[in-house]
Amino acid sequence: MIISKQKEFKELLRMVKEPDIFIIGCGKCAAKLHVGGEPEVLEMKNRLSSEGKNITGWAVLSTVCSPGSWKEVLGQNPGIGKADALLVMSCGCGASVLSKLAEIEVYPALDTESLGGICSEELAKEQCRMCGECEIWLYGGICAHSQCAKSLLNGPCGGAVDGRCEVDELPCAWEGIYDRLKKLGKLEYLEFVHEPKDYSKKRGGIEIELQKKNILKKIHCDC
Amino acid sequence: MSFRKKISSRKFIVTAEISPPKGTDVRGMLKDAELIKDVVDAINITDNQRAVMRMSPMAACGILSHKGYETIMHLTCRDRNRIALQSELLGAWALEVHNILVMSGDHPVKGDHEAAKPVYDLDSVQLLGMIDGLNQGFDFSGHSLHGETDFCAGAVTNAELNEAAFAKLEKKIKAGARFIQTQAVFDTEKFTEFMDKIRGSDTFEEIKIIAGVIPLRSEKNADFLNRNIAGIRVPEDMISRMHKAKSPVFEGMEIASELIKELRLLCDGVHIMTIGTHEKTPGILEMAGIR
Repeated sequence: MIISKQKEFKELLRMVKEPDIFIIGCGKCAAKLHVGGEPEVLEMKNRLSSEGKNITGWAVLSTVCSPGSWKEVLGQNPGIGKADALLVMSCGCGASVLSKLAEIEVYPALDTESLGGICSEELAKEQCRMCGECEIWLYGGICAHSQCAKSLLNGPCGGAVDGRCEVDELPCAWEGIYDRLKKLGKLEYLEFVHEPKDYSKKRGGIEIELQKKNILKKIHCDC
Repeated sequence: MSFRKKISSRKFIVTAEISPPKGTDVRGMLKDAELIKDVVDAINITDNQRAVMRMSPMAACGILSHKGYETIMHLTCRDRNRIALQSELLGAWALEVHNILVMSGDHPVKGDHEAAKPVYDLDSVQLLGMIDGLNQGFDFSGHSLHGETDFCAGAVTNAELNEAAFAKLEKKIKAGARFIQTQAVFDTEKFTEFMDKIRGSDTFEEIKIIAGVIPLRSEKNADFLNRNIAGIRVPEDMISRMHKAKSPVFEGMEIASELIKELRLLCDGVHIMTIGTHEKTPGILEMAGIR
């Protein structure tokens, strides 16, 4: 899940100068977190209307980041054609994808913080930094790269006080890594010397694989 | 005798720490260096310590080296990616800076540029490995250098370590650290336990342990250290000595000299962090019977 929060409303007003607005929400992460699902889109519609904006329509797309055929979206939502700006209540990824498709201004209504999830009624932030080479198994399943405030791969820094991180006073990620490795009987993993991340792996060639298997076309049609 | 030669000898090592200026005026830094030059084996130059922006330690070390001082340049992983770190190291070597102390570095949120992007492209173990590569004449991608470095590299540690932190310290040695500088020691019993653990491990054979010493300035100062600096624990009896003292500054020097006397029997050297009051350093060392 991509974790986002709503921008301050007054910030939105400063940003969106156009009078005719179409609002797009997202049925996935933003809906789950109650920052961009139908109720929030309707609330946004009312607030913007009361500020004098003309809302030409609204829609909650099932997945804003992969909207499939933009022609179909336009067909189902004639209000988009009457608007001079889209206000997108999805993560930055969704807003960016729509910017590629829409021929009018696209404004993000949310600020995206991290890739995480919800687990045992708790928000689990920064679970993955999408480094392109997942090695969490070497750390008892806890990503040192994203969970440690300094992304330290070879062990903790000296900054933790009583097991609390110097940055946010959350438990030091390395305490968690140690506990998990101990539980799994893999404490010898602490001795591994980890090389720095290879950021060139983020440029990985996934497009070629997907094209080979015709997956991009299939996803486009399914949507 | 160079710092490198000293740590290969059996001599008790004394280093002290100076901060580069926040600005371009280096007169204060030069004055501080002058105050301690006869009593220390090398001067550590901090790298934007506590994430507060200051002059580059490479520039500061270069200026001091040019004037004949032996420096130990601190290098954190916080602000530079692997390209910048190597570039800085090559520059440092060319400016006759021969010793490097590697650390992760306090997070930007602790300093005066909270909005800065934390870099941490490498960690301290990886940075030590990178220095070892430069010493062998290769950059981090394996390309040959036109002129290699020959740094004497060291690392830092807290004296109270959990198992993961101890494993990391061992990795620092395996990656090329020749000396270890500890966070300020106030509790010599705990430090003895640390040294027993170090001496009990083959990894640390030949590795010099330099204990940190901070002369307390006041009871408030002791309290501040306990509350704000990770890895420092000033015991209650010292706080009460500071509380009762007629001259807290002198009491702090007294405590520091007593600590140094004890540490002399436990480890290979001391690193004195007087934090801007360098005129005290020669006195403390004299009281400890070292200089």
